[in-house]
Amino acid sequence: MTNIHVEDINIAREKPHHEPPAGWQQYFSFSTDHKVIGIQYLVTSFIFFLIGGIFAMVIRAELITPESDLVNRTVYNAMFTMHGTVMLFLWTFPSLVGLANYLVPLMIGARDMAFPRMNAVAFWMVPVVGILLMGSFFLPDGPAQAGWWSYPPVSLQNPTGHLINGQVLWLLSVAISGVSSIMGAVNFVTTIVRMRAPGMTFFRMPLFVWAVLSAQIIQLFGLPALTAGAVMLLFDLTVGTSFFDPAKGGNPIFFQHYFWFYSHPAVYVIILPVFGIFSEIFPVYARKPLFGYKVVAISSLLIAGVSALVWVHHMYASGTPGWMRIIFMLSTMCVSVPTGIKVFAWTATIWGGKLRLNTPMLFALGGLVMFVFAGITGIMLSSVPVDIHVNNTYFVVGHFHYVLYGTVTMGIYAAIYHWFPKMTGRMYYESLGKLHFFLAFIGTNLNFLPMHPLGLQGMLRRVSSYDPQYTFWNVIASIGGFLLGMSTLPFILNMIGSWMEGKKAPDNPWRAIGLEWLVSSPPPVENFEEIPVVISEPYGYGKSEPSC
Amino acid sequence: MKIRQIVILMAIAIALIAASLWMGQQAYSWFPPQAAAESKLIDELFSFLVTLGTFIFLGVTGTLTYSVLFQRASKYDTSDGPPIEGNVTLEIVWTAIPILLVFWIASYSYNVYAQMAIQGPMEMVHLHMPMGMESANAAPMSQTKPVEKIEVLAKQWAWVFRYPDQDVTSTELHVPANQRVRLALQSEDVIHGFYIPAFRLKQDIIPNQTIDFEFTPIRIGKYRLTDSQYSGTYFATMQADVVVESPQDYNQWLAKVKTYHRVPAYNQAASEYFQTSETDKVFKTGYPTVAPAVPPLVNYSGKKESHS
Amino acid sequence: MDSTINSHHAAEHTHDEEGNSMFGFVVFLLSESVIFLSFFIGYIAYKLTTPNWLPPGVSGLEIKEPAINTVILVSSSFVIYLAERALGRHHLMRFRLFLLATMAMGTYFLLGQATEWSHLSFGFTSGVFGGMFYLLTGFHGLHVFTGILLQMIIFARSFIPGNYNSSHFGVNATSLFWHFVDVIWIILFVLLYIWQ
Repeated sequence: MTNIHVEDINIAREKPHHEPPAGWQQYFSFSTDHKVIGIQYLVTSFIFFLIGGIFAMVIRAELITPESDLVNRTVYNAMFTMHGTVMLFLWTFPSLVGLANYLVPLMIGARDMAFPRMNAVAFWMVPVVGILLMGSFFLPDGPAQAGWWSYPPVSLQNPTGHLINGQVLWLLSVAISGVSSIMGAVNFVTTIVRMRAPGMTFFRMPLFVWAVLSAQIIQLFGLPALTAGAVMLLFDLTVGTSFFDPAKGGNPIFFQHYFWFYSHPAVYVIILPVFGIFSEIFPVYARKPLFGYKVVAISSLLIAGVSALVWVHHMYASGTPGWMRIIFMLSTMCVSVPTGIKVFAWTATIWGGKLRLNTPMLFALGGLVMFVFAGITGIMLSSVPVDIHVNNTYFVVGHFHYVLYGTVTMGIYAAIYHWFPKMTGRMYYESLGKLHFFLAFIGTNLNFLPMHPLGLQGMLRRVSSYDPQYTFWNVIASIGGFLLGMSTLPFILNMIGSWMEGKKAPDNPWRAIGLEWLVSSPPPVENFEEIPVVISEPYGYGKSEPSC
Repeated sequence: MKIRQIVILMAIAIALIAASLWMGQQAYSWFPPQAAAESKLIDELFSFLVTLGTFIFLGVTGTLTYSVLFQRASKYDTSDGPPIEGNVTLEIVWTAIPILLVFWIASYSYNVYAQMAIQGPMEMVHLHMPMGMESANAAPMSQTKPVEKIEVLAKQWAWVFRYPDQDVTSTELHVPANQRVRLALQSEDVIHGFYIPAFRLKQDIIPNQTIDFEFTPIRIGKYRLTDSQYSGTYFATMQADVVVESPQDYNQWLAKVKTYHRVPAYNQAASEYFQTSETDKVFKTGYPTVAPAVPPLVNYSGKKESHS
Repeated sequence: MDSTINSHHAAEHTHDEEGNSMFGFVVFLLSESVIFLSFFIGYIAYKLTTPNWLPPGVSGLEIKEPAINTVILVSSSFVIYLAERALGRHHLMRFRLFLLATMAMGTYFLLGQATEWSHLSFGFTSGVFGGMFYLLTGFHGLHVFTGILLQMIIFARSFIPGNYNSSHFGVNATSLFWHFVDVIWIILFVLLYIWQ
């Protein structure tokens, strides 16, 4: 009786809505359901992951021999430029936003995000960005070729003088992507701060939600700096202003400051949600609470804060004065402390647990191990004397690929496998998942480990040809790269096959603790029939009372 | 904790330390030859970081491996693990130790940086900027006056070296061993990077500024100078040889080369660009590019390079 | 018991939408201010490090007209506050009047800006100074224009019967935006005109 009364109130207060298109059509529509939008982000970004991956295959194929003998040098330069751009702006950022979109409202016990229509608008800007960037390949001048950083004066060199060129499209794409991201950030922060279920205090939020909150705060305060620099560069390029053009009295180093003031924290926007994913996954597959939950939660905010103060470590060789280098060396090293805390907390969570090595756990474990390696090379890079030697060499490329592939991509895969049953109502094929993991883990290490000795030996990044002495490690790296390319096949097969014909998934296949596991797989449109009331901390494994 | 556990832990720690120290030694072999006085300092610092890093990596990975091997749930055991939510002592320890390590690494790095700047063989970067962007200013190490300024001109895509006292130009950089060398770095067009891996030294060159750069080569031999800041289409070809020779050989070379006529140097970017029949590329077509500068006229151009 | 809690919270949830919107708008404005902050810091950095800061033939900026414009713009913040207050007391006519006055003052400011621009001897591409000057004033002017547009919208909506009976979010947001535009201008004025 009372329940029906509740629902009447809901219907009376809500505006009447049309029945959303059911089935696959909804994913091509302007849906305002965060679950649909989340999947739209995930699928779209994965397609661009494959495109960015094809660019990487071209790069590795060229680099398997020392000479520039596969493609024209201009094409190679476009390849590495677009590989970085696509992987960052069209794979890592949108896929993590997609995961956050899907999961955050469920995890906090809300029916949707705070601003569902703005959510949809933000998503649909992503294909626009993709079309602009891919479209630039068809321009007579080709796409941008100045690296994903677009440093002036190289990025200002427009040999044909055409107004519409790849670099202009690149800048417009970055601007549109920025608008989309800011919309998302406003949405996530409002949702998390204001729409948590009753009883869910901040210190009862799942760590993934903490991570998303911290990451989106960075977006809010960091992105505008990049926008400012991009706008100024765009004017230099199209109208002839002098902001960054040294020939006209401008200062190209200022662009580097604008660029890195955002782009360094940007990498934490990427890694923090992955840390959140690890924090969600390890307790489930070790059947133990997350060790040190409160401290791990705060460490996300700390990392976000400190990350705003380290950007000059990308500019040690740019001609920054000595005192600036040292200050930023110290701040950069400080980031390792909250990060280290997380690593130790995860290790302690796993230790003494009852482990199950399902695919999500394998990816998370592999990601953690590779992250420890990446963190160590990161500390090496933060040291000014060392960086002066290895800056702009393959040592750096190796480091950040251990982060971006070894940790981030593996983490995204872990999340996709883990929440696949919830999102699709189907179980994925476990053996294909394990095959994917082994191919990816081996491929990642083969591809990126050799880059470290290459860098130490002095091989530069972004080169379309190199000294023959570097051949051996390049061949190994290329083999690893091709293996990585192939590793996506079992994943694609698994996703399509399982979504269509996998075993039906129960509400909670992993017997996990969390609000998203209380509802059906997939969840109903409104997520919860009744908004739950939260009465305890998350990750209550091993306790006898239920958590909700 | 029981005695047995402590003993086992100590044994593991000792094994880890041994492995780490060994790895730290290996690190030296990953570098090019130490051709400048700075090289030694950096290699040692890096070796220290490798040792520390190996210890941490083996510690964490070892723990995880043990878990994965020996702490798996048995097949039909659906119960949870122990509800351990934290341990304040442990958390304090693993916060304090990294903080201490950070200070250790930072101060070691700072010391190395300071030594590179003020003692012995020096690296000095002096930027002629209108406002406070000062370099690591340093006192001269010894009475030996620096060798005359060698001017380095970087352009898309060639290195030109000029010895102003003798008015000699070259596309191969010759420097005397065990004497301080002072370069004046300039770029004609975009940002380039002056990088000699064997010296472990790198400095970006900003157009419209002259950047002074000093160091002391110590090992006779031939090394490579590469452009380290992406500078456009033929960026990868912008390389030059660096010859470190005894002061006598150096002066002899200068005297000899001064008598040579200036001829266009071999320039890989120009030859690739101006050869209409491209070298063997599978896919020949490309996008419009900035044209390389014409090959510089120099007294001496070294051997024609056949790199890539 | 549960259903009581839930029905209470369900009602609370829909009431919260205006609070959510305001929260989100404030967050957005904080982010937007960082773009201006980035330009401001750029201006300061350029001014301190660029030799030959002013373009040839330019000795500085005229301050009288911009000062008058500043007074007008800043006063208009008070006027829109009066409009907001009037609406709070359901005095629709007064609300519209004050709103029109705000729009007029804002338009005066924009016209003043355009006039100043047309009398200047340097352009957007006249060195770093020219670039930063037009970038800052232009970007700000764009925001003033947007503010006036928003005011026109809430003005028009005041003619829809019963529109402002419950939610005043649109008005509050427009008013807050206008205050934001004013604060930005004050900083801009100090940087560009006073610190010469």
